[in-house]
Amino acid sequence: MKKPVFLFVILFVCSLSGTAASAQSLADRVVEHTLSNGLTVLMVERHQAPIISFRITYKVGSVNEHSGITGVAHLYEHMAFKGTQRLGTSDYQKEKEVLEELEGLNWEIVQEEAKGSEADSERLKGLREKFEALEKEAKQWVVTNELAELYNRNGSVGFNASTSRDVTSYVVSLPSNRLPLWVAIEADRMANTVLREFYKERDVVLEERRRSVDTNPGGKLYETFLATAFLAHPYGYPTIGWPSDVGSLSAAETERFFRTYYTPSNTVIAMVGDFKVAEVIPLLEKTFGSIPSGPPPPPVVTVEPPQLGERRVEVEDEANPQVVIGYHKPNFEHPDDPVFDVIDSLLSLGRTSRLYKKLVVEKKIAVGASSSSGTPGARYANLFTLSATPRAPHTAAEVEEAIYEELERLKNEPPTEKELEKVITNLNADLVRSLRSNSGLASQLAYFEAVAGDWRYVLRNRDKIMKVTGEDVMRVARTYFTKKNRTVATLVQVLPAGEPGGKALPILKEGGQ
Amino acid sequence: MNRLSVLFLVFLWSLSLVPSPSAAPAPAATELPDPRTMTFPAPAFQPPKPERQVLSNGMILYLLEDHELPLIRMEVIVKTGSIYEPADKISLAGLTGAIMRTGGTKRHSGDEVDEIIDQMAADLSVGIGADAGGAWLDVLKKDFDAGLALFADILMNPVFEEEKLQIAKNNAIEMIRRRNDRPSSIASREFNKQIYGADNPYGREATEETVRSIVRDDLVAFHRKYFVPNNIMIGVTGDFDKKEIIAKIEKAFAGWKKKKIDFPEVPSVVERKDGGVYAIARPITQTQIRIGHLGIKQNNPDFFAVSILDDILGGGGLTSRLFSDVRTQRGLAYSVGSVFRPGNFERGVFIAYGETRVDTTHQAISTILDHIRKIRREPVTDEELKRAKESFLNSFIFSFSSPAQIVSRKMSLEYYGLPSDFLERYRDNVAKVTKEDILRVAKKYLHPDRLVILAVGDDGKFDQPLSSLGKVTQIQLTP
Repeated sequence: MKKPVFLFVILFVCSLSGTAASAQSLADRVVEHTLSNGLTVLMVERHQAPIISFRITYKVGSVNEHSGITGVAHLYEHMAFKGTQRLGTSDYQKEKEVLEELEGLNWEIVQEEAKGSEADSERLKGLREKFEALEKEAKQWVVTNELAELYNRNGSVGFNASTSRDVTSYVVSLPSNRLPLWVAIEADRMANTVLREFYKERDVVLEERRRSVDTNPGGKLYETFLATAFLAHPYGYPTIGWPSDVGSLSAAETERFFRTYYTPSNTVIAMVGDFKVAEVIPLLEKTFGSIPSGPPPPPVVTVEPPQLGERRVEVEDEANPQVVIGYHKPNFEHPDDPVFDVIDSLLSLGRTSRLYKKLVVEKKIAVGASSSSGTPGARYANLFTLSATPRAPHTAAEVEEAIYEELERLKNEPPTEKELEKVITNLNADLVRSLRSNSGLASQLAYFEAVAGDWRYVLRNRDKIMKVTGEDVMRVARTYFTKKNRTVATLVQVLPAGEPGGKALPILKEGGQ
Repeated sequence: MNRLSVLFLVFLWSLSLVPSPSAAPAPAATELPDPRTMTFPAPAFQPPKPERQVLSNGMILYLLEDHELPLIRMEVIVKTGSIYEPADKISLAGLTGAIMRTGGTKRHSGDEVDEIIDQMAADLSVGIGADAGGAWLDVLKKDFDAGLALFADILMNPVFEEEKLQIAKNNAIEMIRRRNDRPSSIASREFNKQIYGADNPYGREATEETVRSIVRDDLVAFHRKYFVPNNIMIGVTGDFDKKEIIAKIEKAFAGWKKKKIDFPEVPSVVERKDGGVYAIARPITQTQIRIGHLGIKQNNPDFFAVSILDDILGGGGLTSRLFSDVRTQRGLAYSVGSVFRPGNFERGVFIAYGETRVDTTHQAISTILDHIRKIRREPVTDEELKRAKESFLNSFIFSFSSPAQIVSRKMSLEYYGLPSDFLERYRDNVAKVTKEDILRVAKKYLHPDRLVILAVGDDGKFDQPLSSLGKVTQIQLTP
């Protein structure tokens, strides 16, 4: 067992003079500990109220998928709520036999279906009926939502999980005396999740997809945008998965993905709240620490090839127009990355930002505009994106032009000292505010530890941002914001056929400006 | 080798790439204590108590020090709301709040206000909702004096620059144009209209005409009427000294005079005696469902029993009946549940909601309806009641997880006229609820015959037509 490392970090320096001490005293309390199996734990004691926020983050997301199994990381996230070999079942041994039989049958159905028009429809019908009967049989052993119920009756708040391109996280907050309960549930869940009720949950995920993508114009636009910007790299896959992939995922395939990526050395636990580090470490060693560490998961090898020319795509929908623009850029480790953070702030931080002032206030052609550095992830080479919502009668094309004017300005004239100062002040204030809530702090620590390999990345990046100069901004803008490196996606309004005049509001004359 | 065994081998192969869970069970499970048998005492906690003061101008102050971080946060509640705006000026309240923040003050232009806020990394916002107005300042301690001065200036002396009003009006009109872009927002909005009535202040909505008719003088008058110190509460939390900050606040708002306010009469909600089935046709693959009727007010003595009823029916996350059945067992929806949202000055709503594939629409709706009928016919189980009560009692501590939250709750209790010991008595009130209470309130506050059932979707492709649920009224959307 390794000794805990107590970190003394000087978090906030001169720019917050007078306020540094109290903020620092909290940051000093981040304790880092690596369990014998390689699992990293970050702990912060805070004793204001008898509560603790827990976050388990796995360094796995949809970026670890490949064509054919897109959506598997997210589907596994759902499955990890179904219980373990002990929780959620009245007799695991009997249940297991039926679940294995179900998998065999599923495989048969998949094979038969794959024959397409040659498929034996009678056989398929029989197989499906048998499958349904087996699902019913499996159900008799299921104790529905037992894991959630245990948390619920113990006063949990915010019990949830999320999957992104880069990471998957499981969160919950509990009264602090329930710490042993959390350990008993989560160590079991980390090692022994059972993929029960798999095929029903797959249907749930397909509903989730219809809700967040198929019937959500913004979701559709974003999905098509990313799929256009990335030809090779898995950042182009939707995290929720392509519908045909999700619809054919099996429990066996999902289990295989789990065994490959959800290993202790690929895991970060962050806990913030009312507990004693000295008491917690031995408990974590005994439980989470005894989960065998598997081989390191395979790396993502695909690299997005350089773009050969501008890419443009339209998404037609009944909805009003929107536009998204993206430029390829390197990942978090590259020296240019902090420069993009500065550009992001210059363009869209607050009402004094360049995009808001130009598009919304001055030209009055948009209701809002934003930018973001690190879409859709940060671990691998990603995109700097700009998006805007035009205001009728102004068009997406007009808005796009105005955004390019702002990007040209970045290339040709350095930002003012005042603008750069504003970026730093806001960055520091955000850091202080991120310490405010237990769950917020746990989330920050776990995320940066998982993605950048060290939670102190936040502090290092802040130092780098402080050194960014006006020259850096111009150089980076010139290098990356080129037409060739650009992908543009536009939501185009199309009215349903047979609707004379459509439902769209007629465009009225401008209000008095 | 027959076909089946070949296939079975392929299946095994896919597992054999990695250790299978049954072949090499992780040791952790067997050594862990069983979470089902673990017991814990209820969390004991004495939350800090904020101090309440009334200033000479009538302004009510709540103060709670918190020295952990160098930040100070102020929250203001103003008695106002869109329920008080005239029917031909819908959006007036919202625009007044927005332009207070953006439209400059007697001392600073709107652009200067933006500049000051961004340059000191403060958060400063103003907003007016249906039955309350609010303003928030969140600032680093070192900038508090400047932040407070600006905050007070915005609350007392907004000038509502014409240009900023025009931008906000144009943007509001654009948002009206866009409000039918998402099926979920169509469903929520049209449901609300059916429950409260399209003419009632709680159900009506802005149109391009009502927004266009609003002029600067309307904002000036609306602000002048409601933003007076005796109509305002301020909560302050963070890294300050109580005595010092009271003096600062007195000084910042010095000269702001008390004034009597005549609140306009708000027409009360007329309860529908009938339900109805409503359809909004959209060519989409998933149907949005809303089912419900008028609910209760928060000051209803049955509030606690109703809260537990709702928790068991559909409010209690993953363990509720609706979630367990519609989502977990049947796989019909991603989001499904119910909520008895209590009203403050007017009755709230009971609403069951969900979304499902076009060809399972009827199945999902009828399953939800069955659960609503069942919970008013049969008592809930002892187990369900126990679970719901434990959940309420054990999570109650999270209502006090930050000083800002404690102060905010205290202020809203006072604002909505609830007893000041509401929170202290909350645990006892929850503990007292019995199975009989739940059955009684289910019968009293759930009315299957008065349910509004609303679906946004591709009616022709449903598993069964909506008409099987009753006479269908088609709603034509006005943009």
